[in-house]
Amino acid sequence: MNSIFNDPGFWHRLQFGFTIVYHYLFPQLTMGLAWFLVYWKWRALRTGDKKYNQAVRFWAKIFGLNFALGVVTGIPMEFQFGTNWADFSKYAGGVIGQTLAMEGMFAFFLESAFVGALIWGEKRLGPRGHFAAAIAVALGSWISGYFILVTNAFMQHPVGYQIEANGSLGISRMSAYLLNPWAFVQFAHNQLAALVTGSFVVAAIGAFYALRGVHSVQAKLYLRAGTFVGLIASLLVAFPTGDAQAKMVGNHQPVTLAAMEGKFVGGPMAPVALIGQPNVAAQRLDNPIEVPGALSFLAYGHFGSFVHGLNDFPKDQWPDNLELLYYSFHIMITLGTLFIVLMGFATLQNLRGRLESSRLLLWVLLLAFPYPYIANTLGWMTAELGRQPWLIYGLFHTRDGYSKVVSNGDAIFTLIGFTGLYFVLGLLFLGLTGREIGKGPEDQATAVVDQREAVLA
Amino acid sequence: MIATWYAVVSFMLIIYIVLDGRNFGAGMLHWFVAKTPEERRQVLAAIGPLWSWHEVWLVGFGGTLVAIFPRLMASAFAGYYLALFLILWCLILRGVSIEVGGHINDRLWQTYWDFIFVCSNFLLAILFGAAAGNVARGVPLNADGNFSMAFFTDFNVRGHVGLLDWYTVSIAILAAVILAAHGATYLTLKTEGSVHDRSEKLAKYLWIAAVPLSVVVLVESRIVRPDLPGRALSNPFWWLGLIVTGVSIIALISGLVGKRERRAFLGSNFLIFGSLATGAAAIFPAMLHSTLATENSLTAYSVACSPSTLRLAGLWWPVGFALAVFYFVFISRRYAGKVSVQRDTQGFY
Repeated sequence: MNSIFNDPGFWHRLQFGFTIVYHYLFPQLTMGLAWFLVYWKWRALRTGDKKYNQAVRFWAKIFGLNFALGVVTGIPMEFQFGTNWADFSKYAGGVIGQTLAMEGMFAFFLESAFVGALIWGEKRLGPRGHFAAAIAVALGSWISGYFILVTNAFMQHPVGYQIEANGSLGISRMSAYLLNPWAFVQFAHNQLAALVTGSFVVAAIGAFYALRGVHSVQAKLYLRAGTFVGLIASLLVAFPTGDAQAKMVGNHQPVTLAAMEGKFVGGPMAPVALIGQPNVAAQRLDNPIEVPGALSFLAYGHFGSFVHGLNDFPKDQWPDNLELLYYSFHIMITLGTLFIVLMGFATLQNLRGRLESSRLLLWVLLLAFPYPYIANTLGWMTAELGRQPWLIYGLFHTRDGYSKVVSNGDAIFTLIGFTGLYFVLGLLFLGLTGREIGKGPEDQATAVVDQREAVLA
Repeated sequence: MIATWYAVVSFMLIIYIVLDGRNFGAGMLHWFVAKTPEERRQVLAAIGPLWSWHEVWLVGFGGTLVAIFPRLMASAFAGYYLALFLILWCLILRGVSIEVGGHINDRLWQTYWDFIFVCSNFLLAILFGAAAGNVARGVPLNADGNFSMAFFTDFNVRGHVGLLDWYTVSIAILAAVILAAHGATYLTLKTEGSVHDRSEKLAKYLWIAAVPLSVVVLVESRIVRPDLPGRALSNPFWWLGLIVTGVSIIALISGLVGKRERRAFLGSNFLIFGSLATGAAAIFPAMLHSTLATENSLTAYSVACSPSTLRLAGLWWPVGFALAVFYFVFISRRYAGKVSVQRDTQGFY
């Protein structure tokens, strides 16, 4: 009997994929939002204007909810290296374990030691101490991002390793491992994408208040900061970081680049397909609209550069789901381009003093906030699907990595459990975040004083 | 060097248990020491801003375990698959119940999350206790160094054992009682009023209850693992752990009797630290004992990664730990003293 129920690798992949995508909804916001908190805290210190502290108090509550969910959904990620990917951990634990441990000790310790102070310690710490706590939390979240991206970069482009006597991997040069060029590019691209998420959410809440005609001072603050940072970050996500990321893929994973572009036949003057549908059975891109030579230029710097097609590689090296990879990549690119257009227009309107009065634009800004989440998720799907069939590129197949002792039933059971639990978490998160947004930033007298306080009164 | 790393990894896990153990304990007792919403808030305030700081020590431990003993992590985590996911889900529910309870001012809502909070903490104490029992007893490791374990089999401690049997269940009970006592000692230190008084009384009862239970577990351990005492006696760390345990018992008793809350709590911390350290020293070098055949056991030497990788880890670990100590000092100072629900109007902690 040949069904997906007999393919344990599938269930382990699905569970890891589902739990990591869900988990990353929270850190991408906190990593972006953290610098808004630092900036407003700094402005509050410099100007003494109360509106900045009010903004920090409001956003610290949103941050706190996201942080808590990030912590609780993050711990299963590390454990799954052992529970679901035991054979991978046996093989590569000596390498990837280093950065997992460093992430805990250098980033999470810092972040979690100061997050309580950031959210609840404004009075007790004083303005300077509170500013320092904001910086500590922001640094902690970005350092954790770096370590986890070094881990992922090793899986995409292994460097600095050696094969030990027992056949597993060890580190030969720590500096090469930690300074993996892939990690730098990926870190820059990913962190800027987190800033895009943060700025879209900040702008959306600003738009929400502006549309409702409430909290006008705060709304203006969020709209201006959100659209300005949003424009800069959206531009930098595309160029130079996104461009560098694509070149990195082109140089080290040419078959992945071919798959991302739905390119079956290689050649010079390779076009970029703006739209089109990969037809894997017929090995061609259906109904394409192409820009000739653009892919050659983007990937290798010359219009005449030769770009490999999928047919230049044996089929067992092709990523195992070309359609999903192709659409993930293309929708991400499309969304990224729209982000630049939207935030560029919003910044223009801001400069003309019309940002808060253009209701249509405010509506678009409000409704746009889910899309950076989608783009971030699709970017990660591109990275992870593109790496297939490898778990560590060129070294270790995904099908060799999962825990052989765990039965299919167990894996399906825990996946179902996570689905249910995360559904409930999602409802709670949306409900409570919605409440905080509804109460608004100027509701300090009652909102910041916890509701339980009211019970005492 | 591998022995040192064994000590480091055990040290990190023990720190996690000592730090988060107070939350498990306080959480278990939440409903019994705190009756009114105001009192409940005191307990949550004693745990609140620090639970994530305590919980990330588990991540620090997990990461270090993968880095240093990758094959142990792989074998143990995959073998305990369902039990570990139960722990993870309880940790998720525990964290969520702390965070969301205070967001809505409604008695029913808060009672519900308080209930989840109590249950998840209780289950966590039991599960971690059973896990400790499993490490002491051993697991059915085959010749490949793998195992896959049921929740229970025939409740016997040899051969094809399950997660729960008479030995691991008694360790789980002992763990729940000791962590509850630890939590009560913590609440005595951190709270005022009737929560304080109830915790103080409970702490005494629970610590007294732990004495006969400990004796039972010690005798049982002698039966389950007759091979251990001989090796333990020649391990200096075992003696060190024993001395720490002894001194902290004295500190704990004098603190409880003399109502010196700081001393009692320090004693409670080091008592758990010392007794877990003696346990870790006693089983060394076997990190997972095989109940099927001793030669299948996974020793620290057989599961560690290569010496060169260990040396590299030795370069950054002390830096990371020094930073952690620095944060620890910051936190101890900042959150020193009793929690006062009226002191700060900024949030519910």
